[in-house]
Amino acid sequence: MPPARREAPKQPPLGRLSLAFGGAVLLAGALIAVSFVGGGAADEGDAAPVESSIPLGRDALFIGIPQDGISLGRPDAPVTLVEYADLQCPYCADWSRDALPAVVEEYVRGGRVRLVFRGLAFLGPDSDKALRAALAAGRQDHLWDVVHALFLHQGAENSGWVSDELLQSLGRTGFDADRMLAETASKSVENELAAAQRASEVAGVGGTPFFQAGKTGDGLAPLQLGALDAASIRAELDSLLAG
Amino acid sequence: MSDRSLRVVLAVLCLAGAAVAAFVLAARWRGTELACSTGGCETVQNSSYAELLGAPVAALGLVGYLLIAATTLSTGAFGRVAGAALALGAVLFSAYLLVVQLAIIDAVCDWCLANDAIATLVALAALLRLHREPLTPVDA
Repeated sequence: MPPARREAPKQPPLGRLSLAFGGAVLLAGALIAVSFVGGGAADEGDAAPVESSIPLGRDALFIGIPQDGISLGRPDAPVTLVEYADLQCPYCADWSRDALPAVVEEYVRGGRVRLVFRGLAFLGPDSDKALRAALAAGRQDHLWDVVHALFLHQGAENSGWVSDELLQSLGRTGFDADRMLAETASKSVENELAAAQRASEVAGVGGTPFFQAGKTGDGLAPLQLGALDAASIRAELDSLLAG
Repeated sequence: MSDRSLRVVLAVLCLAGAAVAAFVLAARWRGTELACSTGGCETVQNSSYAELLGAPVAALGLVGYLLIAATTLSTGAFGRVAGAALALGAVLFSAYLLVVQLAIIDAVCDWCLANDAIATLVALAALLRLHREPLTPVDA
């Protein structure tokens, strides 16, 4: 006769329970300590906001529009438009000055389109310095204000136009320029630089400005604009919104 | 529920968790944007808390889920205790990351919330498994 089988007592030995809880606490404690030290070190600028020295006032173009990191506009907007740009690229500055305001007012402010900025820095040291400042401002959800202001103040390529004084002057109420400058080498900024670089390689960016668009949450496709003006982008956005 | 059923449930939950972690990891490596109803996924994924000693936290999650799944191959006490310890540790760390999202980063990621829910279920299943002894032959 084969041996009978039975369920053993349902209470586990206290030792096993203690071992499991002890192991869990040790494991989680170690992970949390490492994370907290790493995250805290990169976020030192969070601790003591300092008043900006030369407030310029908020860029009226973006007032009332939500910003989140590298994004501008409602997160649930039906269409996402991604812009790859170098902050020293003159065509990108033209786009920002001539076409962007119309896109923002006609599509972004009403919640129909969300913009995402993917910054690249292939033109030299001023590109890198400007982009790092913009991404650091993104940690305070002010990237688009800084990007737009830098395009409007764009100087001669690698002439040193991205000065600390210019970056400081971008400060405003609710925007801590000192913190921005302190975070230009933070892990978060490094991650975003690397992410944009990887994304540009996947997208096959050959020059800037380069645009991708698609239904939010779906795939993005490159846009072939006939011209860098509001009319060309309107046609693409209207087509996506109608689809 | 028998020990065998619990092991199957635990393994399936771990695979679901591993799939979420792998998806987030793939998006990070490819530089593609995560679909995100809260709009906070990019902020969270780009924060300094998304890495641990230079490795993405999603990679840690993937390895963790696979390790817990591996413990379901064992019917012995070691597998149960190790599985429960890993699963409870994962829940505690997930809770910490949720606090970080709410209190420090000020953004919440859908995929992190999905992971939190799966990690909680994994921990419950692992505790249930620890609570039960396997069927053992006894003298008639």
